Amino acid sequence: MLSNLVQVLTSLVDEWRILLPLILGALTIWLCLPRPRPYPWYLGALFGGLLLFYLATLFLRESGFAPEVVLFYAFSALALLGGSMLLTQQNPARAALSFTLVVLSTSGLFLLLGAPFLMAATIIVYAGAIIVTFLFVIMLAQQAGLSDADARSREPALATFTGFLLLATMLYVLKGYQSPNAVDHLLTRIDETLQLDSFEAMKAAIEPKQSIEEKKQDDRDLFRRSAMLLDLAGLRELGRQARRTGDDWRVLESDPDIAENEKPRRTRESLQQLRALLDENRLQITEGLTTVRLSRSENGLGTLPPLSSMSGPPPTTPFAEIRRDAQGRPELPAENAAYLGRTLFTDYLLPVELGGTLLLIATIAAIAIAQRREPGRSV
Amino acid sequence: MAVTLHHYLVIGAILFGLGLVGFLARRNLILMFLCAEMMLQGVAINFVAFARYRGNLQGQAFVLFILTVAACEAAIALALILMLYRRQGSLDVSLWQELREPDLDPTEDEEPLPPPPKPEPAPHLPPAGKEPLHRKQEKSHV
Repeated sequence: MLSNLVQVLTSLVDEWRILLPLILGALTIWLCLPRPRPYPWYLGALFGGLLLFYLATLFLRESGFAPEVVLFYAFSALALLGGSMLLTQQNPARAALSFTLVVLSTSGLFLLLGAPFLMAATIIVYAGAIIVTFLFVIMLAQQAGLSDADARSREPALATFTGFLLLATMLYVLKGYQSPNAVDHLLTRIDETLQLDSFEAMKAAIEPKQSIEEKKQDDRDLFRRSAMLLDLAGLRELGRQARRTGDDWRVLESDPDIAENEKPRRTRESLQQLRALLDENRLQITEGLTTVRLSRSENGLGTLPPLSSMSGPPPTTPFAEIRRDAQGRPELPAENAAYLGRTLFTDYLLPVELGGTLLLIATIAAIAIAQRREPGRSV
Repeated sequence: MAVTLHHYLVIGAILFGLGLVGFLARRNLILMFLCAEMMLQGVAINFVAFARYRGNLQGQAFVLFILTVAACEAAIALALILMLYRRQGSLDVSLWQELREPDLDPTEDEEPLPPPPKPEPAPHLPPAGKEPLHRKQEKSHV
């Protein structure tokens, strides 16, 4: 019982990279949520400052400040700031302004993601929405002093806990998901190991050393990790090959007959074999990791029917055939608006019509709802 | 390390979580509506990021439909808010707690609100056409 508890606690401590910022954020939001007797402002500022400090260290750990990285972090920080202000502002007009901050920084992220048309559309639609919201605030929330609606929160502690629990779950799932860049990470680790001189240092680099969890699962050295990745990507034959290389290295490591000065050279040979294996099949591995799971499932669904080429390459396109930019990501069509229009009116014609109908119905419904009804007169 | 798909997914998740907290905690109907819109923004970031990293336009097309639905939602939500305000004279969502399950206790606000700040006294002006009395302590601004 006790040991179970200890185990749970250690595994929680092991996840501190997720938990620490989440706890800090939850404390900040909880302290700053409006209530009749607010906590002193410096408490919220303290935890918020710590969180910002932590996020800044994350940013500084990024190697190379490419404009894209800087812009991504700037827009994300603005979005988070606007979101927290939306939650904690007592004045509804200011909260609506904070929401504009969220929308604008989201549009910035859209632009970074190569979606200029959506950026413009979001700004236009939400600008209208915000102005209408403002009208409503001015119309309805014009009260002297504080009102129950703005100066109180409903169960601030429970609400914060619920929201951040969901967030923790999502982040945990995201962390466990194999990143398509996993191959690149492995390749850099192998390269770093190849730079080392002594056998002991190489051995330490090959063995798992990151977290308690990895230490527990003894078999996650560089070779086994690569084999696992290859298996995940559906390349079982290559995975077996990587595992064999690893086994050979294990034999070499424990063999007393081999002279000590031989060992670094032989280790390097094994590593180079592994590296060649990963490097040659890099695109295939990445494709295997990112292909839509449905297409390889065994429940008889088979492959997804490809959409027309109007929507860009279909999900079933082999990964190697997608055009790529310098970072290895697929390129989107340059004429975003034109291609999006073509997509909408070829592949998504029916949804577009349905969307238009939905808008019409919503307009009629809004008028019907907001109509002032006389008592005794049916609509 | 370049910005990966995971970075965008994390930002989307955070916006969604913050929106959920706001939707649960805030009592102003308009703010609850804005928080729901923020959750939609988080989802939209996910879709556009998937579109970018998968190299096709389906995610972006989906976000366009999200925008459409968000516009419909805004129209109907604001109409409903207007009706609710006409009934109760306030935007406080807790006034509608008689809609709760019959075996739940009503929530009551125990802590009284702080008194509203006193309005600033209006400046007292002398009647027009009359020279105001000069006080000796008054400093010359010239």
